[in-house]
Amino acid sequence: MMENVFLPKLAKIVKNEKMTAMEHFLRLQLLDKKTAEEFQYNLGQFIEISIMGVGEAPFSICSMQNQKYLLDLCIRSGGRVTSAILRLGEGSLVGVRGPYGNGFPLKEMEGSNLLLVAGGLGVAPLRSILQYSLKNRAKYRDITFFYGIRTYDTMLFRDEFNSLLAGGDESGCKFYLSYEDPKDEQCLLLEAEYSDRCMSGVVSKLFERTEISPKDTYAIICGPSIMYKFVGQELTKRDVPPERILISLERRMRCGIGKCGNCIIGDGSSIRYVCKDGPVFTYWDALHTKGMI
Amino acid sequence: MTSESLDAFVNNLETYGKIYGPVKTGESCSFQEISQSKEMALNYSRTMIPPKKFFLKLKERMFIFDERECEYEETLEDGKIVVFGIHPCDIYALKLMDKIYLDKNPDKYYQMRRENATLIGYSCHPDEYCFCQSQGTNYAVDGFDLFLHELKDKFLVRIGSEKGNKIASENSKFFMDVESSDIQEFREAEGKREKEFTLKLAINGLTDMLALSYESDVWKEYADKCFGCGSCNLVCPTCRCYDVVDNVNMDLKSGERQRMLNSCMLKKHGLVYGGKNFRPTRVERLRNRFNCKGSLREDMMNCVGCGRCTVYCPSKIDYVEVLRRVRGEL
Ligand SMILES: Cc1cc2nc3c(=O)[nH]c(=O)nc-3n(C[C@H](O)[C@H](O)[C@H](O)COP(=O)(O)OP(=O)(O)OC[C@H]3O[C@@H](n4cnc5c(N)ncnc54)[C@H](O)[C@@H]3O)c2cc1C
Ligand code: SF4
Ligand code: SF4
Ligand code: FES
Repeated sequence: MMENVFLPKLAKIVKNEKMTAMEHFLRLQLLDKKTAEEFQYNLGQFIEISIMGVGEAPFSICSMQNQKYLLDLCIRSGGRVTSAILRLGEGSLVGVRGPYGNGFPLKEMEGSNLLLVAGGLGVAPLRSILQYSLKNRAKYRDITFFYGIRTYDTMLFRDEFNSLLAGGDESGCKFYLSYEDPKDEQCLLLEAEYSDRCMSGVVSKLFERTEISPKDTYAIICGPSIMYKFVGQELTKRDVPPERILISLERRMRCGIGKCGNCIIGDGSSIRYVCKDGPVFTYWDALHTKGMI
Repeated sequence: MTSESLDAFVNNLETYGKIYGPVKTGESCSFQEISQSKEMALNYSRTMIPPKKFFLKLKERMFIFDERECEYEETLEDGKIVVFGIHPCDIYALKLMDKIYLDKNPDKYYQMRRENATLIGYSCHPDEYCFCQSQGTNYAVDGFDLFLHELKDKFLVRIGSEKGNKIASENSKFFMDVESSDIQEFREAEGKREKEFTLKLAINGLTDMLALSYESDVWKEYADKCFGCGSCNLVCPTCRCYDVVDNVNMDLKSGERQRMLNSCMLKKHGLVYGGKNFRPTRVERLRNRFNCKGSLREDMMNCVGCGRCTVYCPSKIDYVEVLRRVRGEL
C-alpha cells in the first residue's frame, strides 16, 4: 500500500513546561520505536504537529538528534494549535509529520567560526546548532552566540544561557546577551555582573562588542523578519560574504512538502517554497528573491 | 477512426470508468458525467472549472479521527474515470500538477485519482482569449492516454501511453491504419490552426521582466480594480493552493481533517502568527499571483494560456494586458 504523507505519526508528550508567559518547552517521543529510530533529521528542519480536532502547525526542532529519540520544541502560544498544545498534559498524544525542510549545512560549516544570532523565539532552531557544535567542539573554531531578548521575563532556556554567561569562554562558546528594555532590573543586574557580555539595545548592537573574521565565519540568523535586514547589513559591512550568512524563515504553511502553495515567495525569476527549498536560505538568496526579508 | 464511430467508441469507454465530457451548461461549459457522445459539446472553447477538479477536490476529507484517543483512519475514494475531450492547455496544466503532487513526497489522494483516470484529448480552435501558442502549450506532446484530432470526416488518433495503447488495441475495430493522405490532411489542419491564434504574449525574458517590475505602479493600478474574489484562482488549471481545517462532529470527539482549495488573492493566504501578513494588501497579492504564474518552476511556466482568468474575472482584469503593461508594451 502506498504511503500517505499526510497521516501523522503518534507521539507522546513527555514534558510540557512553562518557560515564559508565552512560551512552553515541549518534549515529544514518537510512540512507535521503529518510527522513532528512523526519524533522522538535519538541524534546522521542522515538524508539523497535529492536534486532532484543532489542526496542524509547523515548529522547529530545537534539540540535536539524541539516543533517546526525544524531540525538543519551544512553542509560543497564541493561535489555535499552539494554545491547544500548551493545554495538553504530559502523557497526551499528538500527531507528528516530518522532518521537513532543508536544515543548516553543518558539514559545510566545519572548520569555520560560527556566529549564531537569535532574536526572541528564533533561538529555538539555533539552540540545536549550539548543542551540536558544543558537543562536536573540535569541528568548529570560535563559536559566538548573540541572543536578543526584550526583557528578562521573555528569555528562553534561561538556565542554559545563564550558565553560558557564567561560564565565560570556558563554556566553549562566547555568549552575548542584549535586552531591549533599558529599565529591566534583572537584565541590569546581569549587565552589572557580566558587563562585557551583556548590554541593552537591539541584538545588532552586540556587533560592537566583538571582532568578526569575515573570511572564515558562517553567520546563522533566526528571529523576527525585521532582524534579517539589520543583522544582514551589519555582517555585510564586516565583509562576511552573503552566501555564508544563513537565515531561517517563517511563512504560513499547511503541508510542509511543497503542495499547498501557502509558503511560496519570490518574483518571476525566483519563485521558492519556504517549506521545501528552505526554511534555511542564504542572505544571497534573500537579496535576490523579492519579498524574502 | 471515422467520425461515425465516435458514438460507439465513447459507449465502449464505459469499460474504463465513468465517462466525463464537456457539456454545455447555460453560458459556459463544464465537465460532467455523460452516457453518450451526443451529450458533449466537443467544439467547446473552455470549461469554467478546469479538469483539475477531478484530481484536487474543492473540498476533500483526508482522514477521520477520534480526538480523545488520537486515533485516525485515512479516507480515500476510489473509482475509475475517463475524461473525454480535454484540450492541450489543460493537459499541460495536469503535467505541471503532476510535477508538484507526484514529486518525492507524492500526494496519495492525487496519485490515486490520477492513476484511476484515463485522459482523452481532443483538438480545439482558439478564440480571442486563448494564448496557449505563446506559452508553448498549444500542442500536447504527451500527458494524455489518447488524443483525437478532428479532421474532415475522421479523427487522427495519437496514442500517448500504455493505457492508451491498451484501449486502442481493445477497440481496434474502430481504428484504421493512417494513410499518407491522412497525414497530409492533419498537417494542413495543424498549419491552419497555428494561424488562428490572434492573442499573443511575448514570454521570452518575462520572468526577469516581472522581477524588474516588482515596484511598478501597474500592480497598484490593477489592484485598485481587483475585488479580491479569488475567481481567477478557482478557474485556473494550474492554481492548486489549499488550506486545511479540522471539523469536529457533534459528539465533540470524532471528526475529520479536510482540505479545500485556497486562493492567494484572499487575505489570509499570507497571514502568520501574531496577525503579521506577508501580503497585507491587494497590491502584494495581485503581484504575487502574476509573479507566480509568470515564473518558471518545475521546468514549466505556471500559466498555460487558457484564458480562463481573463474570461471569468468580474472586474475584467485581462491577464495578457497586465503582463504587456509590465513589459512596457502598452
Ligand atoms: C519553519 C517554521 C518553524 C517554526 N518554528 C516555530 C517554533 O519553533 N516555535 C513556535 O512557537 N512557532 C514556530 N513557528 C510558527 C508556528 O508555526 C505558528 O505559531 C503556528 O503556525 C500558529 O498556529 P496556530 O494554529 O496556533 O495559529 P492559528 O490559530 O492557525 O492562527 C492563524 C493565524 O491567525 C492569526 N492569529 C492567531 N492568533 C492570533 C492572535 N492572537 N492575534 C492576532 N492574530 C492571530 C495569525 O496570523 C495566525 O497565523 C514556525 C513556523 C515555521 C514556518
Ligand atoms: S478574478 Fe479578478 S477580481 Fe477576482 S481576485 Fe482575480 S483578478 Fe481580482
Ligand atoms: S493564469 Fe489565467 S490564462 Fe494562465 S493558466 Fe491560469 S487561468 Fe489560464
Ligand atoms: S507549506 Fe505547503 S507548499 Fe510550502
